[in-house]
Amino acid sequence: MEIQVAIIILLVAVIIATLAIFLAATILQLFKINAGLSVVLPLVGQIVAKTNPVNPVVDDINAQLVVTRDALENLMLKKAGPDSAGLVESLFPGEGTKFLRRVGRSGKVVNVGTVYTRGVGILAGLGRGAPIGVAHTKGPAVRDPRYSTTEAAKLYPAPPDRRDPTQNIPKAPVIGNDPVHSPYEAALTPGTRTRDAQGNKIEAPPPEPAPAPTGKIEVAPSSSAEGSAAPTQPDQPSRPGRMSAKGTRPWER
Amino acid sequence: MADAALWIMVVILAVVIVVLLALLKRVLKAATSIPPKIDAIAGVAAAASKDLDAVAVLLTTQGYIKSIRASVLNYGGSLDAALPDY
Repeated sequence: MEIQVAIIILLVAVIIATLAIFLAATILQLFKINAGLSVVLPLVGQIVAKTNPVNPVVDDINAQLVVTRDALENLMLKKAGPDSAGLVESLFPGEGTKFLRRVGRSGKVVNVGTVYTRGVGILAGLGRGAPIGVAHTKGPAVRDPRYSTTEAAKLYPAPPDRRDPTQNIPKAPVIGNDPVHSPYEAALTPGTRTRDAQGNKIEAPPPEPAPAPTGKIEVAPSSSAEGSAAPTQPDQPSRPGRMSAKGTRPWER
Repeated sequence: MADAALWIMVVILAVVIVVLLALLKRVLKAATSIPPKIDAIAGVAAAASKDLDAVAVLLTTQGYIKSIRASVLNYGGSLDAALPDY
């Protein structure tokens, strides 16, 4: 046999051996892959099964939230009117424009919180104030300057002690316990009237006469109902320091 | 002449062996790299499947959202009656 034939046989044998070794190793790896996939596939199936009901549940939750948001936005529009977007903008900057877009309206969003004070905004929301926000802040006054106090007086037509309790008129708003910029000053002579009802100065307070008959049937207290002849003591102001005597005069009772 | 043909065949077989070794080595390398990745995927899938156990709580959340919606609408109706319209 020639040397070339022997080499050829040897090379063919090497090729066959190489193929066998590498294919065996590859087959071994394929078995490992098969075993790994048999572990992974059930887990993926679990994931698919567990995420299957998520979409309808999340869609339902989103629908509920959208309905709630729409209801609140409609309530806001109903109660605050054109100021709605401004109120939203004052509390949540940047949301006023989105609010307008969602409710299908357009226009400039005026930040109510920066234009008006918080209390004015609340009063406007409660419907007690002027139509705040309907005009520009640099424009003419919306409220009538001559009868604005009349409109306010209509809210509280009588002092608290003479109100008709059946009308359920709310109390006047209190501006803090000790306002710094109070328009009232403390009286130098509390309880003493220095001017009469017409504004004339009273030199010396005359002795208080007996009260004139008012025509009303008044029930006297038990102490005075015993027929004592002592003169009636003048009425002292119930609240010292009160600047206005309106409502405390005998003929106003 | 016959000797030359035999020698050419020897050379060709030698080249075939080299090429065959390179190709089989690449195939084996690729096959070897797959099982670790499958093991990693199995670990992640197991963790993801365990995390998704909380998906059932979404049903409770759905109920809560429905009750909250009813409460908010009730509050809104009360405010609608309490506050005057613009």
